[in-house]
Amino acid sequence: MKRFSIIGKDVPRTDAATKARGSAIYTDDMKLPGMLHGRLLRSPFAHALIKHIDTSKAASLPGVKCVITAEDTPKIKYGNWRLFPETQDEYALAVEKVRFIGDEVAAVCAIDKDTAEEALDLIEVEYEDLPAVFDVASSMQPGAPVIHDYCPTNISVNRKIKYGDVEKGFADSDYVREDVFTVHGVSHAYLEPCSALAQVDLDGRITLWTSTQVPYIVQCLLASTLGMRENDIRVIKPYVGGGFGGKMELRAWEFCAALMAKMTGRPVKFTLSREEEFLAGRRRHPMTIHSKVGFRKDGTLTAKDLKIRLDGGAYNAMGPTATFLCGNFGAMLYRYPNYRFHGEHVYTNKPPASAMRGFGAPQSLYATEIQMNIAAEALGIDPVDLRIKNAQVSGDEIPDVAVISSCGFVESIKAVAEMSEWKEKRKNLKPGHGIGIGCYSFISGGVFNWFNTQYPFSAAEVRVFSDGTAHLLSMASDIGQGSDTVLKQILAEELGLRMEDIRITVADTSMTPQADLGAWGSRVTLMAGNAVIDAARKIKEQIFGSVSARFNLNVIHELECKDGRVQSKVKSDYGLSFGEAVAMAQKANRGEPIVARGSYTPRDKGLVTPAFGFGAQVAEVEVDRETGLVEVKHMWTAHDCGTVINPRSVEGQLAGSIQMGLGYALSEQFVMDGGKTLNTNFADYKMPMATDMPPSDVVHIDTYEPEGPMGAKEAGEGLASPTAPAISDAVYHAVGYRCMDLPITPEKILEDLEKMSETGDKQA
Amino acid sequence: MKHQIRFTVNGDEYVVAVDPRRTLNEVLRDDLNLTGTKLGCGTGDCGACTVIVEDRTVSSCLTLAVSVNGKAVRTVEGLAPSGEELHPIQEAFVKTGAIQCGFCTSGMEMAAAHLLSRNPSPGEEEIRAGLSGHLCRCTGYNQIVEAVSVAAEAMRNSKTEEVKG
Amino acid sequence: MRLPKFAYFAPRTVEEALNLLADHGEGARVMAGGTDVMVKMIHGLLKPTAIISLLEIEELRGIHFDAKDGLTIGATAPLADTASHPDIVKYYPALVHAIRSMANVEVRNMGTVAGNICNAAPSADTAPPLMVMNGEVNLASLKGQRRLSLNEFFRGPGVTNMIHGEILTSIHVPPPLPKSGVSYQRISARCGVDIAAVGVGVGIVLAGEACKDAKIVLGAVAPVPMRALETEELVQGRERAQELLGQAGDRAAQEARPISDMRASASWRRKMTAVLTRRALDEAFERASRR
Repeated sequence: MKRFSIIGKDVPRTDAATKARGSAIYTDDMKLPGMLHGRLLRSPFAHALIKHIDTSKAASLPGVKCVITAEDTPKIKYGNWRLFPETQDEYALAVEKVRFIGDEVAAVCAIDKDTAEEALDLIEVEYEDLPAVFDVASSMQPGAPVIHDYCPTNISVNRKIKYGDVEKGFADSDYVREDVFTVHGVSHAYLEPCSALAQVDLDGRITLWTSTQVPYIVQCLLASTLGMRENDIRVIKPYVGGGFGGKMELRAWEFCAALMAKMTGRPVKFTLSREEEFLAGRRRHPMTIHSKVGFRKDGTLTAKDLKIRLDGGAYNAMGPTATFLCGNFGAMLYRYPNYRFHGEHVYTNKPPASAMRGFGAPQSLYATEIQMNIAAEALGIDPVDLRIKNAQVSGDEIPDVAVISSCGFVESIKAVAEMSEWKEKRKNLKPGHGIGIGCYSFISGGVFNWFNTQYPFSAAEVRVFSDGTAHLLSMASDIGQGSDTVLKQILAEELGLRMEDIRITVADTSMTPQADLGAWGSRVTLMAGNAVIDAARKIKEQIFGSVSARFNLNVIHELECKDGRVQSKVKSDYGLSFGEAVAMAQKANRGEPIVARGSYTPRDKGLVTPAFGFGAQVAEVEVDRETGLVEVKHMWTAHDCGTVINPRSVEGQLAGSIQMGLGYALSEQFVMDGGKTLNTNFADYKMPMATDMPPSDVVHIDTYEPEGPMGAKEAGEGLASPTAPAISDAVYHAVGYRCMDLPITPEKILEDLEKMSETGDKQA
Repeated sequence: MKHQIRFTVNGDEYVVAVDPRRTLNEVLRDDLNLTGTKLGCGTGDCGACTVIVEDRTVSSCLTLAVSVNGKAVRTVEGLAPSGEELHPIQEAFVKTGAIQCGFCTSGMEMAAAHLLSRNPSPGEEEIRAGLSGHLCRCTGYNQIVEAVSVAAEAMRNSKTEEVKG
Repeated sequence: MRLPKFAYFAPRTVEEALNLLADHGEGARVMAGGTDVMVKMIHGLLKPTAIISLLEIEELRGIHFDAKDGLTIGATAPLADTASHPDIVKYYPALVHAIRSMANVEVRNMGTVAGNICNAAPSADTAPPLMVMNGEVNLASLKGQRRLSLNEFFRGPGVTNMIHGEILTSIHVPPPLPKSGVSYQRISARCGVDIAAVGVGVGIVLAGEACKDAKIVLGAVAPVPMRALETEELVQGRERAQELLGQAGDRAAQEARPISDMRASASWRRKMTAVLTRRALDEAFERASRR
């Protein structure tokens, strides 16, 4: 395996010191002369016609500079699936009707926040309440209220996958298990509320600073919804305080800031309150998962039939992609010789669900993993052994779903079982204690191009200088996951430079090379990383010649960039410092700067992703049989992310995903009353805190992904999936409660224990 | 009616006319341009807005600016001794990987400063308790806990700047 | 939501504060640490026209203890100071436990016991331990002083028997009796720092092995922190035994009048009332037997 000098090292993040000082500028930290403050008026109804809006009182309030409704906009719909325009179902401000509590109806901007808030109360909206639906089953009933006219069934997306003969597979099975799982919605709960600031320049063009994961997508969709050209919009991503999938679409406040900046000629900033984030914010899809799976006596999988209904809320948002992906993830991890999937994305009058860390995997794999455990018990096989028997391996192919190049899944299962002393603990734990396992596989970016970009998926520009430094330009978005650092590490490794030799400019659509689809689906390291390598290699081509000429090297000499030098690989004294080499190359080119552009677009990699990450996790819990409270005592994780580029970053992501998984399993949920979200603050939306985190051990499984930059692939996002099934299985092992409807709550556990004691059922 | 308040932030004296309903968070961020202090929830539930008033941490979103009249406020901008150096707490946060998106960081650092001013050698549980109520969605807290412990050791060893808390 | 418009005053004496309160009528609101008042204003639940801060009144800040008179906690003494006060740690551990399980460090640095009481949430953590320890509040008004038992203080969620024009100046708790023990147990259905879904305070005094006086207060299972009078009666005269603990828990669960809300269901709250009463009673017996 290749030896690296910077890859695999605990390089501190490039943005850490400025963030530690409090001097990193996030969107809401920005202030421009003459800036106005915007606020959105949201619908109090889940489903209603807008009969009339009177903005006159609000507009005449002193200090108010602009009030807009849909009538002031071009009324152009948007959505991330540009390739299928009928799926683009959202207006920035509601046209004719509102579809969920929190739907944006009007916007104001004023000289200060208080005036803007006051003006909101003065906008008079006359609604005609319509019947509404709040769950998938009711929404699919014949005669149910139609939420979008274009979609009379309320089912906006159907996705089917089929290979093999599922019926035959079940017929050949010794054991068939059929279950229905329901999983709930949770919030991204990024710490930085969404914020956008727009300014118009002299030519009427717009600059938008916004807290986003997808500057390029925002640029394109903002242009189309405003009826402007793409190049008339410049989107800049300042530091972003987390996203987790919740900031990957054009949103109403971005549109309103831009339009109102145009209308007033003054900069306009919108920053959401936490209450708005919870009331109307995107969330992970609740799903109803009907899963049927067959085995032979020896544990060999025979078939799987998976039907998933996604509760999409009022708009598609990223739901179509989630519908596609949860079917793919249903086919992952184990070798199902026969597989059938039908996914339906269903509208309801609730806040739209969208992409969230794991993007369909946490839901789909919850069902997969719990069913594996149920089957293991029924077949009398240890859950670990059953998994190893069926696990996917390198070289496996699934039609339409996956070509698996590198795969450290079996090694992960074995490692986690060993670390956790699985076999021993599974038999001999104290009463009330339990141990359980959950596994995952995840994509390293999507191959699908429903956004229909005309550009490469990722691009990089590298400029090198005679002072021995390099400048990397990339549209990739660091939203806290650390991609700026990783890209710098990759460039430094490739050019033999130090981290401090590299300056980086990122995520400015007018300055950085077209294009990058954004930070989602764990695509940045692999795709932007490959683009950086591509550019770096082109730089090397340009400077190697000058070294070769200078030392009159035989053409068979391989050159390398190492330790700040450009040199012959076999005779390092035939070489120059990096800066000298650049200077010579530049001289040879009569002053032309040494610049190169690189790009990456996955081709011939199937329809889903160029590479898959894998892993397994074990949880040990203690359940209080009197209260039903679950305490997670320890977590063990073994995962395969290919080459680990920055160990501390990977471990940090992993611990973060355990926090999120813990919340998903045990404490986080939206409490809804019909279409209204009741818990709209952090006092009532319960995220795990420092005191709730269990001790945790981790092992990186050593693999090398041929398609990845320096062998790397997805890390940290797939880990959003295994925690909930691992905890759930541990709870079952501890007290016999099998959770089929997340989250696991003390109430459900106690009710189940009572039922069991009545019927004298299993007591683990 | 606006009140004229006089207070210090990181040793600098400010005289500001504020409406009584202005929070300390707004005055720091909007009037004094000290944007290192964040606003994560506005209801005292996330810890991102934490600053030190006199000798203890408070949620700046729940503190009326008028109430700090005559008091000394310390924010994240007051931790580092200079533009070149970092405070040991900041140094430890950088080194251990405790910073991802960074939005909770200043609140966490202020909580750490407060904790270490009272307890220079906190155990892991004490650190976790001292940070409890400070939300982080990125790190799972482990590296933050490690950072506080590393900072404590560095501060004990060097006894450089006394955190006045 | 933005804060409403209000006038702000920071008087230096109680008398000054009382005059301001009288002058500004029903719209005036007294504030100490502000952690509850501010949140209520932010949520639009409270729209005072005047805020009278007590923070500048020197005499309200102190915490005093002596073995004869017991404990006095000034209206603006922060929760954090209360929970770390050596005498309170020594003599009133149940109160310390209640405070440490409340909120986060910053809120404990700002908030006060008096504020927790005046906010009158059914789930107020300090109420059950204070009530079982026969806590009282000292109220000042322009007409003079009065002392009110905490048992008679709460009227409903957010409503107390304070009259407009009165200021709670301190909380008084008698010194612990010999052979007495107090316990506070609380639970939330979720992890982390959380509002209590159920809290149970038990205070007992022993004569020999038997309980000669019992006070049991249930939090978050009724519109106000409620005395479980039947359970108290049941415990009276009895010795510590598993059977008694079980009976007491069941009786308390029957007495509780919980509702379902977003934090917990009524049925789980009822079950937890039984569990926590059992645990608190056990710990109270244990503590009493050691004193």
